[in-house]
Amino acid sequence: MSNSLDSYLILSGLLFAIGTFGFLARRNAISMLMSIELMLNAANLTVLAFGAFVAPLKTHAAVIALLVIAVAAAEATVGLAIIIAIFRNKKTPLVDEYDTMRD
Amino acid sequence: MIYLVPFIPLIPLVGFVLTGLFGRSHQKGIHEVAIWAVVASWVVSMVVAFGALSHGFGFGDHGAGITLWNWIPATGFSASMGFYVDSLTACLLIVVTTIGMLVHFYSVGYMAHDPGRWRFFAYLNLFMFSMLLLVLADNFLLVFAGWELVGLCSYLLIGFWFPRRSAAVAAKKAFLVNRVGDMGFALGIMAIWTQVGTLNMQAVFEKVGAIPHEWQIAIALLIFCGAVGKSAQFPLHVWLPDAMEGPTPVSALIHAATMVNAGVYLVARANPIFGSAPEVMVVVAAIGIFTAILAASIAFTQTDIKRVLAYSTISQLGYMFASLGVGAWTAAIFHLMSHGFFKGLLFLGSGSVIHAVDGEQDMRKMGGLARKIPITYVTMLIGSVAIAGVPPLAGFFSKDEILGGALKNGFLWVWALGFAVAGMTAFYMFRLMGMTFWGQSHVDPEKEGHIHESPTSMTRPLILLAIPAVFLGLLIGFPPESGLLHTWLAPIFEHTIAASGRTEAAYNFFGIDGVLAIGTTALVAIAIVLAWRLFGVDMPALGLRAQPRPDRVREISARPGLAFFYRGSSNKWWFDDLNHLLFVVWGGKLAAAVFWFDRTIIDGTVNGMGAVTTGAGARLRHVQTGRVQNYALGIAIGLIAMVAAYLLILIRWR
Repeated sequence: MSNSLDSYLILSGLLFAIGTFGFLARRNAISMLMSIELMLNAANLTVLAFGAFVAPLKTHAAVIALLVIAVAAAEATVGLAIIIAIFRNKKTPLVDEYDTMRD
Repeated sequence: MIYLVPFIPLIPLVGFVLTGLFGRSHQKGIHEVAIWAVVASWVVSMVVAFGALSHGFGFGDHGAGITLWNWIPATGFSASMGFYVDSLTACLLIVVTTIGMLVHFYSVGYMAHDPGRWRFFAYLNLFMFSMLLLVLADNFLLVFAGWELVGLCSYLLIGFWFPRRSAAVAAKKAFLVNRVGDMGFALGIMAIWTQVGTLNMQAVFEKVGAIPHEWQIAIALLIFCGAVGKSAQFPLHVWLPDAMEGPTPVSALIHAATMVNAGVYLVARANPIFGSAPEVMVVVAAIGIFTAILAASIAFTQTDIKRVLAYSTISQLGYMFASLGVGAWTAAIFHLMSHGFFKGLLFLGSGSVIHAVDGEQDMRKMGGLARKIPITYVTMLIGSVAIAGVPPLAGFFSKDEILGGALKNGFLWVWALGFAVAGMTAFYMFRLMGMTFWGQSHVDPEKEGHIHESPTSMTRPLILLAIPAVFLGLLIGFPPESGLLHTWLAPIFEHTIAASGRTEAAYNFFGIDGVLAIGTTALVAIAIVLAWRLFGVDMPALGLRAQPRPDRVREISARPGLAFFYRGSSNKWWFDDLNHLLFVVWGGKLAAAVFWFDRTIIDGTVNGMGAVTTGAGARLRHVQTGRVQNYALGIAIGLIAMVAAYLLILIRWR
């Protein structure tokens, strides 16, 4: 069981669930961004696990994983920039204060 | 000479513009502009009519046309601004411009004290333009434009004294009833376009023989529908008596001598179309002669002097349609011309009477006016004798040709009814003369002293109109059925008559025609004597005694057999009541129902959809919290739901 596809998938599922929970439950914008990273990495782990255990997918998985890492980096950059911009306006990192879109 | 033609309608149009623009600021002398415009138009018309009637000067037997510009240039459709003059047009030109001019002269006196005089003359000029456009147009669309314009002028002039409610209502009635007929005419024009592919009249008449017969019938019927409306034939005759609310010169010009003839002109003009649909010709004859007898019977009992003349006009127009229907085309135009003159004369005379008794129109409050307003009396007497059909005045010849045409073309029933109408006409005209001019005076005592002959501006047109009323028949209708008018109009109708297969028997005074003429004259004489016995006056010089006997009239009309006819006649055979019930009461109910449907169902649906959207939005807006985590929760739940559904499907159908 330790070195099987299932264990990797369970791990990545757990990581994704933790990330989702963090994204929904944490009120600090930075923490939410970190949760997103967690979810992205969980997805990445799934891809790589398939790549490792299913022979025809080996190269594809690597390429997809690299792509996801690049996108995640870009996303983190843009997300941080947005958060900093909002922070300068609102003087708070708590997302439930960011409700101007309601009106 | 054809280049003169566009000026005929153009000059009154310029007159209308000038009178309309500067009338208010130059009220004193503005009528001069209007009058000179019509006089100029008359001069040009006479020159053109002379050319066209002599079949020379570039007009030839079949007339000539001139196209000014392409009015509506469109792909697949075109209508030109063009005029066409032949001898039929020329006959109408003579009637329209001559009577129009005399009515303008007359109006100077009649409207002398009216503050809206400039408006009146502007409308009259606009009417002259429209009528001449109608008569001269070379295509159906332009005819229709003139047709609608005369309708507009009729509306404006009936409602000239619009502060009076009855005038405003009468104007509206005339306009609406006319629209019913015009609708048919418009459909007829569209049908012509779809079948023939052109609206130019001469081209249409050449090609109309080649289209399917049912379309020939449809087109003829639709055009006749327009004519019925404009010429006040049954069942659209109800507007003309009410149109008498307008000033009397208007009644003379528009509602007796010109506009109401437009329908007759149109049918005569479109004779190749009607000739190709003999079934419709029978309809034309039937409606015409029925209207003639209906209107004549109503004229028996009316007490308003102008209304008697209005019903007489309807009756005579019915005569003309009967004549057209039996194929006596020339006789119809003959009667149109002679009727235009003597009916114009009678209306202007009645206006002079009304003027003399200070606005009174009820004949029961007149009487004995003959000696007080002699010029009016003599001219009106001439008009009455002419319309009654006493030889050798104009009405005798034209009526005789119509009756002869009906009999010789095999329409015995048209002849029989027409014969009766001839007697009725003589009776009600002399009833009018008797009640107005003969016997005791019933004028209000306070008005009695003011009775005066009208000014010369009014009596002169009467005298001038009396001349054609006497001599027109001898001039253009003698010898019967081969007079001048027949020479003029022969080229217009020869193809249609030839196509109908009827060979016209030569007029033979010592045969059927003489019997007819003498018979009609005898009937007319009896009717006149009867009217004179009932409404007449002593003539000691001739040894004749006949006091007016209103009690005798009442006694006769109360007889059991006649009472119904008397009530029917005096109630105009209840047509107004029928229309009121059908269109005002029931129509109003229908409109109310439609209004309700519109308000509740149509508007209700639209408003309901709006309300549902607004209400849903009001509730759903609470979903939009503006908090990013609520949205993310939505995404997560949605994702879980989708995955769950996928798995469920996978498990169940795998």
